[in-house]
Amino acid sequence: MAQLETELQLLKREAVNMWTLVNSQLSKARLAFLHFDKDLAREVVLKEKRVNGSELKIDRDCENIFALFCPVAIDLRFLLAVLKINSNLERIGDIAEGIARYIIDAEAPFAKELLETSRILPMYDEAVKMLEDTQAAFEKEDTILARSVFKRDDLLDEVNRNINKVLENHLEGQPEHTAQALWILSIIRKLERVGDQSKNIAEEIIFYLEAKVLKHKHVDKK
Amino acid sequence: MESTIIKSRKFNASFGANHVVKNVNIDIPRNNVIAVMGPSGCGKTTYLRCINRMHELIPDATCNGTMSINDEDIYKMHPIFVRLKIGMVFQRPNPFPNLSIYDNVIAGYKLNGIKLAKAEKDRIVEHSLTKVALWNEVKDSLLKKGTFLSGGQQQRLCIARAVAMEPEVLLFDEPTSALDPISTATVEELFHELKANYTLIIVTHNMQQAARVSDRTAFFYMGELVEYDLTKNVFTNPKDNRTQNYITGRFS
Amino acid sequence: MRTDNIQYRIGKSKGFKILTFVLAFACMIPLAAILFFIIKAGITRINFHFLVNIPRPVGEKGGGIANALLGSVIIIALASFIAIPIGILAGVYLSENKKGRLAYWCRLSVDILQGIPSIVIGIIAYFWLVKPLGGFSAFSGSVALAIMMLPVIVRSTEETLKMLPPSLKEAAFALGMPFHRVIFKVIIPVGISGILSGVMLSIARITGETAPLLFTAFGNPYLSADVTAPMQSLPLLIFNYATSPYNDWHDLAWGASLILLIWVLFLNVFTKLISARWKVQL
Repeated sequence: MAQLETELQLLKREAVNMWTLVNSQLSKARLAFLHFDKDLAREVVLKEKRVNGSELKIDRDCENIFALFCPVAIDLRFLLAVLKINSNLERIGDIAEGIARYIIDAEAPFAKELLETSRILPMYDEAVKMLEDTQAAFEKEDTILARSVFKRDDLLDEVNRNINKVLENHLEGQPEHTAQALWILSIIRKLERVGDQSKNIAEEIIFYLEAKVLKHKHVDKK
Repeated sequence: MESTIIKSRKFNASFGANHVVKNVNIDIPRNNVIAVMGPSGCGKTTYLRCINRMHELIPDATCNGTMSINDEDIYKMHPIFVRLKIGMVFQRPNPFPNLSIYDNVIAGYKLNGIKLAKAEKDRIVEHSLTKVALWNEVKDSLLKKGTFLSGGQQQRLCIARAVAMEPEVLLFDEPTSALDPISTATVEELFHELKANYTLIIVTHNMQQAARVSDRTAFFYMGELVEYDLTKNVFTNPKDNRTQNYITGRFS
Repeated sequence: MRTDNIQYRIGKSKGFKILTFVLAFACMIPLAAILFFIIKAGITRINFHFLVNIPRPVGEKGGGIANALLGSVIIIALASFIAIPIGILAGVYLSENKKGRLAYWCRLSVDILQGIPSIVIGIIAYFWLVKPLGGFSAFSGSVALAIMMLPVIVRSTEETLKMLPPSLKEAAFALGMPFHRVIFKVIIPVGISGILSGVMLSIARITGETAPLLFTAFGNPYLSADVTAPMQSLPLLIFNYATSPYNDWHDLAWGASLILLIWVLFLNVFTKLISARWKVQL
């Protein structure tokens, strides 16, 4: 049925556009963080409205397609996946906005040693890359790429796991960095959640393409 | 703003004492596909047949109210002129069994005694068959009888026959209920293409079909027009409870 | 006790089946006998001479049935010309109007007409046409025969058209055709096979009718094509000559019988062929 195909193609394009938008939000927030650029941070906060609007539109379009076409098989899985990925992306957008708000509220740029010991920058880079990879996997229907995302979450988990100890040690020597350390801790928690969201997105992509449910499975995610 | 082509005001139809269509008010916009659905006996087919005045061919059939095309009262025009502007396709494919495919397409001209030059006839046949995606399948066997085609092809032939008369509106009375799923899908594709040049009004039992192909849906229940809205709205959030019960499969 | 009964009933059933077989076979006997007898008696009389000459006066050799042949053809053709349009259109009316007073009375009249004895029709025609027109004529004979053809044509047309699917008419109306075109261009062409076999059957029926022609066409010893004058026909000739005391005339009667028989057989076979060939696959 050509009508259904057309609608699904349009929906896919909308999803990809939202992906690009959220990606740019996350990247911009990273740049704002790196260069302590409050203007850039404010841009991110303003653009958050568009992310929300996009989420609403995709939700509505999915509802219409379900109601009008009653899709089955791969089309049904595609719609279910898009519905969930939609809310995952929206949450990542929220996180990017949250990080941008921290930058706006922070009083001074972050100390260099703090940045290095916390390993926040490599973590951030990895988080952005993971999201970009999920987008590529979705667009190209590449399940191998989707699966590769799972392993990369390990780095994020490691940084998140170690940060408490790392900051404890650091603050013993330099207690004046406490305020900043708290910001950094929050941002790292947020980034860990971005990693989780990307992992969920990857699971949905594999569900849509292979009809395999990898949610809540802790073994054999190769 | 879409212009309205068919308008009904306070339209009623009966078979003798049996009042089957009650007080229908509807505006049908040009170049749209309108689905008319409802349970058996709700009056949807009767209403459709009133649009091109086929209803009055049944003995004891009466109707009153206004039905107009382009603001011209259909019941003040001669029925023949009405039917030249409003074509109809029926539930069971009914090509004329004694005519070839070629003759079937131009039957509306030929059997009405309208003389056309051969070149003009050829053009109409090719144009109409192309419009229904049948030209490539039958162009080498135009002189064969129409009844040797498959069900789906016969139905498309009937659509070509209606289209050849260059009407403004095409009425379909459950056009795919006698066809297999693949033929049904082919005919549904056609609706989408035909709406560029015609206004289509389709009576269907099949809710999914109504949802798939139409821009607006009218829901009839016990002779009344219960709801008439964009198809999207009718199927995601109908305003009337009766509509919701019907489309979710819960009756009473 | 029970098994006795069963044996008896099985035997009875077998007997019954055999009886039906024998009786069906027996039905073929009269036809076979007639064919055999007439062919045997008439075949020697038939030659080209026989077909193109009129009967000679008694005592003279030779002669033929030319006037009867021509007469039969003209009378039947004229009768068909009268009965076919009326019959078909009446049949169309009846198939279009299943209820209604006119349809009811028309159907009833036609059915009763079918049962009226042919001689009565002949007498009526005599009083209606022969007396007022002042003499016997082929025309009055044709009218009498036409009245006999009507019921067959009307009924078979009505039945044929009733069997056509209503979707056919609907398709025609939906294309903007006026009623008369729907009938002439769609309904009748599709039903032509059934209508034609009804017509052929009616012709076969009247081909051999003698009684109505007794008081109307009357008979004519000369070759004539004048419909306002008395005319000879095959059944009349057979009737007159077979009951005459002359052997020559008996010969003529036998030959004429054979010709008539061949004609009727041919009509029946022809009807079967064309109705199969012209049958429209719905």
